[in-house]
Order: sequence, then structure tokens, then C-alpha cells
Amino acid sequence: MPVLWMISIALKPDSDILQLPPQFLPRTFQWSNFVNGPKEVNFYHLLGNTIVITVLSVFGAVTSSMLAGYAIARINFRGRSFWFYLFTFSIFVPGIVTLIPIQRLFFSLHLVDTWFPLFVPAFLGNPVFIFLARQYFMSVPRSIDESAMIDGAGHWKIFTRLMIPLTKPLWITMTIMSFQAVWNDFLNPLVYLNSTQKYTLSLGMASFMGNLNQGSPEYNYYMASNLLYMLPPLLLFFFAQRYFMMGLGSLAITNK
Amino acid sequence: MLYPLASSLYHAFTKWDGLSPAKWDGLNNFRYMFFQDPTFWPSLRATAYFVLLSVPSGMIFGLALAVLLNRALTGVRIFRTIFYLPVVLPSIAVLTLWKYIYDPLYGLANEVLTRLGLPTSQWLQSPDMAMPSIVIVGIWGVGGSMIIFLAGLQNVPVELYEAARTDGAGPVRTFFSITLPMITPILLLQLILGLVLAFQAFNQIQVLTNGGPGTSTLLFMYKIYNDAFGSYPNLGLATAEAWILFVVIMIITGVALKTSSMWVFEENQ
Repeated sequence: MPVLWMISIALKPDSDILQLPPQFLPRTFQWSNFVNGPKEVNFYHLLGNTIVITVLSVFGAVTSSMLAGYAIARINFRGRSFWFYLFTFSIFVPGIVTLIPIQRLFFSLHLVDTWFPLFVPAFLGNPVFIFLARQYFMSVPRSIDESAMIDGAGHWKIFTRLMIPLTKPLWITMTIMSFQAVWNDFLNPLVYLNSTQKYTLSLGMASFMGNLNQGSPEYNYYMASNLLYMLPPLLLFFFAQRYFMMGLGSLAITNK
Repeated sequence: MLYPLASSLYHAFTKWDGLSPAKWDGLNNFRYMFFQDPTFWPSLRATAYFVLLSVPSGMIFGLALAVLLNRALTGVRIFRTIFYLPVVLPSIAVLTLWKYIYDPLYGLANEVLTRLGLPTSQWLQSPDMAMPSIVIVGIWGVGGSMIIFLAGLQNVPVELYEAARTDGAGPVRTFFSITLPMITPILLLQLILGLVLAFQAFNQIQVLTNGGPGTSTLLFMYKIYNDAFGSYPNLGLATAEAWILFVVIMIITGVALKTSSMWVFEENQ
């Protein structure tokens, strides 16, 4: 329902925005808002920024968590359970506790106001994903990699040739979840980015909205751009609906 | 992971503005917080209010929706999708939309109330209504917990329902004697997830109210952010506060877990 209203604002001509009391339906449909609105908020530039950061972070989070999950579940090495408990424990640490020192670390490396702080941490693994991956790898029968080892395959080969095809639902779920997390992320860009040229969409949209005055006619531009900002996660949701539900279902079951 | 934790623990005991090096300051941050900081106790109060309002309402609405949509009716999949959609949308897009909905003059919220002949409200601009308004936005996005409840409901053995029906139990009785006890593990999971998320709520506040009016929506997480990255950075104080938040979350989830053996149904018991 609120989204329908949003579509209605996005289509209203300027004069309708200022009308009191507000009407639910636009009197005339002003489709050009979808062309002029994005220009106004510098949408396509911000979209490019967001895509670069998202692709790098999703790739980083998924690969590193898959590798870490595989190692913890399948390779016997010293301190294995220590790492597992460390990752599990860190799920419960509020982000803000570590955010401040990590921000200072990037600051002292002169990387504040660059995109590095936004995607580099993803390559260090995501504790929730590592936990999920470990659970998933544990459920793959041992006999599979034993027979591969007899055929002379090493861990790398087992991982790339056997595990990746076998765990398709797992990494698709992770990809979707991390895409959403990065696309929607607001706090990190807010902390790290200062120059508007480097903003992500979440930051750009929020700051544009913040600058608008009550009942400003530009709300129609804003809502049109906002709809475009919502579009990629929506499309992803419709194409990957099955995996969405599966990922959330597995969260409910592994934690039982 | 360990480095930032250790560094943050150390800096909680320092005087540190982020520009000059941190200086050891003993317990002064904590002393300031508890006895001098004018916004510390109000922000804890606001956080407690937010958690008590949002976590139970999210669970009740999520469960109610899941029960309603756990039937084999036509169109039920479409409804599930509709209720899940708000979760998929970027929170900033959703929050900026709600900010406009709550606009006292041009917003939809007051327009709907007027049409229904009800008194209007200042919503986010009123100290009494600001927090409930924020909680309402959260309830609108309850689809995430609905999906997890649905997964739980589908694991309840059908035989139990059949047995209940032959014993002549009505729907209300069945819900309280079978469904609710069988999904207590999911309730526990949702309670803990909900608590951890509610204590760290930030986007809502940054977009909708900036903690105002007054301190009515000054959630603790937002206060920490302001102390750390606001106009007068006080990183020592902010890290000390972050640790307080951590300890509070730990204690409360710990209590939830410890008492859970009294109400969570375990299959292997």
C-alpha cells in the first residue's frame, strides 16, 4: 500500500504534489519524472558507484566464506574449533564495537573517503556465512572427497570441482543475501564517504531527501528515482524467489 | 576480528578525539556516562522502550501472519509474496518513503485518518508519537519473521493436528496446545534475532528523526554513532558506550537463553 502511493507520487506533476489535501491518484500521469528525476539526483552516477562496490563485496564475501567454511568443516588443522567458535561468537558482537577501531585503521591508512573500506572487509569473510557454509559442508558425505583423494585430487581440486557444484543452493543464497546487504547498506558509506561524487545510492537518496523541504515539488522526482533504486533487489527477488525462501528456511533449521 | 575487539576494549579507557593520540584515562569515560552525560539515561530509556515495543509486536504480527498464510488456499502464495516484499526493498528507500507518509501536511497517514473521520497526528514531530511511528514502520516490514515462522509451522507433524481434530479441539485450542509449543524453538530464535537487531537499530533513526524530538527517539546505537562520528568526535566515550551496548545485549540474550529451557520444547526430551 505505501508502495502504491509512492508510485502515485512518482507519476504526479509538480502542481499535484503541493495540493492540499493530498490526492491518492495523480490527475495526469507525468512519465517524464522517470527521466528528469534520476538526472536531478545524479542517479546513474551513484548507480555506477553502487554497482562497483556491490560486485566486489559480494564476490569477496561469498568466496572467502565458502573457503573458510570448507576449511573448518573438511580440513583437519590445529585450532580448527577455535576458529569456528571465534566466528560464531563474532556474530553476536554489535557492529559498532568493531566499527570504531576499523574506521580509525582505515583513517590511519588514508583510505577514508575511498571505496576500499566498503569492500575490503568483505574479503575477510562474513561470520554468518561461514557458519552457514560450515553447516552445509558438514552435511556433504565424507565418502565423496575420500574417493576423490584416492584418485589423487587435492583440496583445491575437491573444492572447485566437487564442492562448488554440490553446494549451488548455498552460494546462491549467500550471493543474494550479501547483494541485499551491500545494496541496502547505509551506515558504512555514511561513516566512510565524504565527497558526494563517491556516494552510494543509499547515501545519495537519503541526503537528497534530507535536503527537500516539506511538500517540495521535487518529491515526484525523488520517488521516481527511489523506485529505480528499489528495482534491482526486486528483480533479483522475483528471479531467485525459490532460493530466497530456502536460505531463510535453512537459517531457521540450522539454528534449532 | 580480534584486533578491533582488543583495540576497542583498550580505547574504552582512553581520552581520544581521533586527531591526537589516545591518552589513558582510567574509568573516566564510564564515570562521565553514568553521572554527567545528560543524554545517557534518556537514550537507554528510549532504547528500552523501543525494544519492548518493537520486539514483541514484530513477533506477534509475524506469527499471526504466518498462521494465516499457512493454509492451502488459492492465492496464498501471492499474499506471502506481498507481505514479504517490504523486506526485499532497500531500507533507505522504504524509510524515506515513510518519512513522507508521516508528513503532517502532505503525508498519506493523516489523509487516511481524516477520511476515516479520526483525529490526525504530528507523527514523527510529536514526542509521544515519534517512537510508535518508528515501530509501525518496523511492523510493516514483518515479512522476514513471517517467513521463518512459516518454515517452522511447516515442520509441525500433521498427525498432531489430526489427533487434535479427532479429540474435538477447536482452532484456538489447537493453536495454543499444539502449534505454539511445537514452534517454541523458532520463537526463541526469533526473540534473540529480534533483540540483537533492535538494540542495533540505526537507519530508522538517522533517516526519520535524528533522535528527536528532544531525546524521545535517541536510541543508544544512534547516540554512539553521534559521539564517534558527529561534530565533536569523542571516540573514547563512544567505544566505552559500544561496550556497554555489547554487555547489555549479552546479558539480555543470555537471560533469554537460560530461561528458555522452561518454555522451549525440545524434540529429544
